[in-house]
Amino acid sequence: MKVSIISLTCCAGCVSSFLNAGEALLEVLSEDFDIVYSPTFVDLKEVPEVDLAIVEGGVRTEADEKLIREVRAKSQILVALGICATHGGITSLGNLASVKELLEKEYLFSVSSRLPALEDLMYPICNFVDVDYYIPGCPPMPFLIVHSLKSIVSGKTPNRHQSVVCAECHRKIIPAKIDRLYGIYEKEVNPELCLVSQGFVCLGSLTRDGCGAPCPRANFTCFGCRGPADSLLYRSRDIYSFLIRVISTRTGISEEKVKEELHRNPFIFHTFIFSKFERFKARGRVV
Amino acid sequence: MSKKREITISPTTRIEGHGKVTITLDDSGNVSDAYFYATEIRGFDYFLRGMEAERLPFIISRICGVCSTAHVIASVKAIENIFKTEITETAEKLRELLLMGQMISNHSLVFFFLTLPDFWFLQEENPSKRNIFQIMREKPEIGKKAIELRSFGTKILDVIGKREVHIVSVIPGGLINPLKEREQKELLKSAENACEITMEAINLGKELFEKNWPDFRKAGDYRTNYMALTQDEAATFYEGRIHVINSEGRSLSKFDAKDYMMHVEEKRYEWTYAKFAYLKAYGWPKGIVQVGPTARMNVNKRVPTEFADKELKEFKSKFGSPAHATLLFDYARLIDLMYACERAKELLEDENLMRIDTRVKVKPKGGGGIGVVEAPRGTLAHAYKLSSNGRLISMKLIIPTQVNNAAINLNVKDAAKEFIHNGEIKPGLLNRIEMVIRAYDPCIKCATRQANENLMVEIKNSNGELLKTLNT
Repeated sequence: MKVSIISLTCCAGCVSSFLNAGEALLEVLSEDFDIVYSPTFVDLKEVPEVDLAIVEGGVRTEADEKLIREVRAKSQILVALGICATHGGITSLGNLASVKELLEKEYLFSVSSRLPALEDLMYPICNFVDVDYYIPGCPPMPFLIVHSLKSIVSGKTPNRHQSVVCAECHRKIIPAKIDRLYGIYEKEVNPELCLVSQGFVCLGSLTRDGCGAPCPRANFTCFGCRGPADSLLYRSRDIYSFLIRVISTRTGISEEKVKEELHRNPFIFHTFIFSKFERFKARGRVV
Repeated sequence: MSKKREITISPTTRIEGHGKVTITLDDSGNVSDAYFYATEIRGFDYFLRGMEAERLPFIISRICGVCSTAHVIASVKAIENIFKTEITETAEKLRELLLMGQMISNHSLVFFFLTLPDFWFLQEENPSKRNIFQIMREKPEIGKKAIELRSFGTKILDVIGKREVHIVSVIPGGLINPLKEREQKELLKSAENACEITMEAINLGKELFEKNWPDFRKAGDYRTNYMALTQDEAATFYEGRIHVINSEGRSLSKFDAKDYMMHVEEKRYEWTYAKFAYLKAYGWPKGIVQVGPTARMNVNKRVPTEFADKELKEFKSKFGSPAHATLLFDYARLIDLMYACERAKELLEDENLMRIDTRVKVKPKGGGGIGVVEAPRGTLAHAYKLSSNGRLISMKLIIPTQVNNAAINLNVKDAAKEFIHNGEIKPGLLNRIEMVIRAYDPCIKCATRQANENLMVEIKNSNGELLKTLNT
């Protein structure tokens, strides 16, 4: 199988994560998996026709858009790897400003015609092309990438994760009575108890599982890098209200007060989910 | 008569990030100019304004997925500098071990996956074969060792940082989780093996390097100043003072890492999304300076572990000090790698590493502060201003690739002049120009995350004439 690996605007963490799969990576490479195009590893300069294209990063420049359209036209199967490709990711936070504002804040008053112009927003790739499989994560765990790719290579649909991170987290969910929400360095974490019940804003209850809950296991809050879970994605529920209800139930703090605290701190919620993800297009294809 | 021509190499391959090279030829087909430029931009420094300090380190790590740990640690150090937090010795050691893990995973990737194919194959080799996957097909054990070595680095990040890419355990005040004895034992076991693989890698590297040296030395040896973090004239990565030397090896200045921003200035050109950093005291272009593996070897007299120090001595006796040829970065990187493996082993053998006092309570306050570490690609500095309620007001980051940006461009031009004459481009020659870029292991992802205050902008017209200079 001929494979290409494409990087659009991103941090290159997803391809790094793929490389971190160790022996499982060697296994994949020894199978029918021939990486013919990848600016990170291979010297080919032209995008070739391939069976499988793996795309990390989202569309921030016009060059990204042109490239992703070309890649789609030349690939049988296209996989969006990582939250930037699937949802827009961290770079979407730049959507808070206009492009003009963004460039001026960067003191780039004139940009040479040699450089690709910026799109009005940072987009996930599904806004431009049809995507066969989405593997969200920042980055997705090595085993998740390798398992999914193995299934795809052998012509099967990858195992889909349809639950939430709480399903993979060992912590006990016991409703508590506390006075306010806390930042992660404000107090010690109880390793047994649900982080939300301790007053930390953990997004595990609305985030897709499949990562193995590494952050809550490390006494750190889930920050939603796998994107919304199936239940929230398809029923078009208001994610924000859902989170407020979860926090209120588990902490005993009134919904109004939770809302107020979250409002004061927009980054808590929007870091990974602020994007133009076309949720219905993705039905059944998010791994 | 031939006309003016422009040669474009796009995308530049086997480097991290989106780059492009343009070489312009004059009427007679000789190089008149060459540019290496970054074609992406994200806007981190702008859109993170308003974010609370607590979330900054793990969000800012998204600047670069390849050297994310170095960013997290620089960021946390900057915040602790503002909060006036003194962390415990245990936390310091664990952070240093994380930096070693970062160095090992990065340098093994760069050596085996990115640059080795250039040494392994003849320059005339079919470009579609010139990659690690082909080497793995010819010699599977090389691929196996590459993966094993990288896995040791990523295992450190996973066990201590709790994620391999974008670690979460390092927070202002120390680390959330202490190291367990079981984890330490497991890591120590792999450390032994990693040191052995690195020895083999050094021997392989030296053998291939010597074979190619007559060719390599021509590929750019622009002489600049060098800068690195140092402690008693020895290489250090987590904590130290900054030492700057000139191209003759004379010491120019030594200063506290917290004064870094007073010594380094940035400028921007409109033809690239990446900025250029240089030494303020010497101005542009005299203040052009390089950081990274070769700089570390040039600035420091010794490396504090046995085998790496031996390699450093050999390096200095072979190439002089300071050494200038660009491709020596690839050689020096292997010495870094040796040090990182040895130092990781040393740290893991220290039983105090498993003490549970990894964390102190922080008292958030406003103000300015800076964190400096030696990242895989060179000195990395994060400076923040926080409001009294702990939100980010502004930030200034100086990333190694920005510092090396000027030298990369000058050396690309140098190499282009060496390899292109009378409009004739032999096969494989464009790759030699890319090799110069690859040697720096530039991280365009890092260099293009974006801007800050006090920047000088030069606006030029299409003929390259300066129209105006803006001081912001």
